[in-house]
Amino acid sequence: MSGAGRIGAGALAAAAAGPAIAALVPPGVLLSLLVQACIYAILALSVGVLARQNGMVSFGHAAMFGAGAYLAGIGLGAPGLLPAEAALPLAVAAVAAVCFGLGLIIVRVHGIAFAMLTLALGQACFEAANKARGVTGGADGLTVALPREIFGLPAATFQRAEGMFLIAWLAMVALAALAALLARSRFGLLTEAIRENEERARFLGYGTVLPRAAVFALSGGIAAAGGVLYVLYNGFVSPETVHWSVSGSALIMALLGGTRTAWGPLAGAAVYFLLREQLVEVTERWLGLLGILLVLVMVFLPDGLSGLPRRLRRPRGAEA
Amino acid sequence: MTIQILNGLVYGSLLLVLAAGLALIYGLRRVVNFAHGAFYMLGAYVGYAAAQAGGFWAGLAASAVVLALFGAVLDRLVFRALQERDPLVTVIVTFGLLLVIEDAVQWIWGAEGRSMDAPSLLAGSVALGGDAFPVYRLAVIAMAAALTAALLAWLHRSRAGLFVRAASLDPAITAVQGVNTDAVAMLVTALGAALAGMSGVIAAPFLSLSPAMGGQILVDCFVVVVVGGLGSLGGAALAALLLGQVQVLGAVLVPDIAALIPFLTMAAVLLWRPTGLAGKRL
Repeated sequence: MSGAGRIGAGALAAAAAGPAIAALVPPGVLLSLLVQACIYAILALSVGVLARQNGMVSFGHAAMFGAGAYLAGIGLGAPGLLPAEAALPLAVAAVAAVCFGLGLIIVRVHGIAFAMLTLALGQACFEAANKARGVTGGADGLTVALPREIFGLPAATFQRAEGMFLIAWLAMVALAALAALLARSRFGLLTEAIRENEERARFLGYGTVLPRAAVFALSGGIAAAGGVLYVLYNGFVSPETVHWSVSGSALIMALLGGTRTAWGPLAGAAVYFLLREQLVEVTERWLGLLGILLVLVMVFLPDGLSGLPRRLRRPRGAEA
Repeated sequence: MTIQILNGLVYGSLLLVLAAGLALIYGLRRVVNFAHGAFYMLGAYVGYAAAQAGGFWAGLAASAVVLALFGAVLDRLVFRALQERDPLVTVIVTFGLLLVIEDAVQWIWGAEGRSMDAPSLLAGSVALGGDAFPVYRLAVIAMAAALTAALLAWLHRSRAGLFVRAASLDPAITAVQGVNTDAVAMLVTALGAALAGMSGVIAAPFLSLSPAMGGQILVDCFVVVVVGGLGSLGGAALAALLLGQVQVLGAVLVPDIAALIPFLTMAAVLLWRPTGLAGKRL
C-alpha cells in the first residue's frame, strides 16, 4: 500500500474507532475527560506540526488556541452579525492569517531564541486578554451562549460529552491525517529540507521564509481549531486558557509522544491525561512523575514514545 | 511617588540577583534554565525551614549552601551529560525539572502559602517623605547591591572569575589554555543556583511563599536576560532595574498597557537583535 493510502486507511480505522469508544465508555466523568483530552491533543498536534516541519519549539501556542476560542466566542456572542456556521471557520482562518503574517517575521529567529520569542508573544496575548475587559471580559472570562443550532446540530450536542466526544475525535483524526499527508507532500518535504539545512535549501533555489511561515500559519490554524472546540464544549474561555503553562503542557504532550509522526502528539496527550487522571488516585504526585517521564524521554528517546516501536525493531547502531 | 519608585527598585533588585545567575549559567552552558524560578522557590522554602530553627540569616546561608549543591549536581548529571546534544533538549529537560521541583516542594510543605518573618533587626518601618516604608524593603535593595558587587568583584578580580569570563567568551580556547572548563561551568551553575536560592529567601518576607512563586518571576527573569542580552551581566542589571520600574510605576501611570510592555520589548529585542543572544560579554 502506498504511504498516502496507509495514512487514509489508518485515519478511517481511527475515525471508526470513535463511535466504538463512545459506545463503550459510559457517559460521565471519564467521557468528559476524553473530550478534553481530544481537544488538547489537537493543540499538541499543532505544536508537533511546527516542531516536525520547522524544527521549532513553541512555548506560546496557548495564544493561538485561546485566540481561536475567544474569536469563536465573540462571534457566537453576536449572532446578528454572523451566522455561527461562518463565525467558527472564520475564527480559525483569522488566527491562521495572523500567524502567517507574524510567521513571515518571526520564523527568521531560530532555536532557543524562537522558544523565548513565542513565550514572550504568548504572555503578551495573556496580558492583553486580561486587560481588554470590553472584548474578552478580562480576568472573569467570557461566557458564551451557543445558538440553538450550529451546522444543523442542536447546541446540546456540542456541550454534552456524548456528542462532543465524536466531534472532537473526528476533528482530531482528520487534522492528524491532514498533517501526515502534508508531511508526505512536496511542500512537506521542502519544509523538512529547510529544517535540516536552511542554507542548502536556499542554495538550491528555494525561498525558505515563505514555506516556514506557511507551516507556522497551519500550526496556528490547527491550534485555533482546538480552541474553537474548547469554547463550544465549555461555553467559557478565560485568560487562564492563554497562559504559558497551557503552552507548556501542550509542548510536554507533543514531546512525550514524539513529533516525528502525526500521531505522536496525540499519543502524548493520551499519556498526559492518563497520568493526570489515573495516577491521581494512587498518588498525588502526578506532576512530578510527569516531569521525570519528560526528562527520561528527552534524554533517552529523542523521538518520543511514538518512536519506541521503531527503536525496538532496529536496535541502536543499526539505523543508517 | 517616591514610595512607588522604591518599590520598583526593590523588585528590580530581586530580579537582578536572580537574573544574574540565569545569565551566568547561559554564558557557560548555553542553556536557558527553565528551572531557575523553581530554584528560587526551592531556595525560599529551604530558607523558611532553616529559619524555623536558626532565624533568618541561618535560613539565607542554608539556602545558599543547599542550592549550590543542587546546582553542582545538576551541572554534573544533566548539563555536562547533555552538552553534545541540541541545546533545546537541555532546555526541555530543565522544564521537566521545574515540574519535579514544584511537585516535590508541594509534597513536603503543602500547596498553601506560607509567610516568613523579616529578621527582627530589620523589622518596622521608617518615615520617607511622610509615608511609612518597611525597613526590610530597604534592606532588600542593600542585600541585592551587596551580592551584585561581590559577584562583579569576584568575576573581575579573582583568578576563578577570569576563567569564568574566558570560558564564556570562548570555551574551546580556554580549555586549550589548560583551564578545566567543565569545573568552571559546574562552579558557575552552583553559584547561579545559590544566587537564585538566596533571592528566594530575600523575597520570602515580603512576597509570601507558595510553590507557584517561581513561575511568575521566571518569565520576568527571561525578559530581563533577553532584553539585557543573554550572558551579559551589565545589561541584565540595567534591564532588571528598568523592569522593576515598569512593573510598579507602569501599573500606576499606564495600567492598561504596563503588563504588555515587558513582553513586547522582549519580542522586539529578539527580532531586531537575535545576535544579541550570541553577542555576549560579562
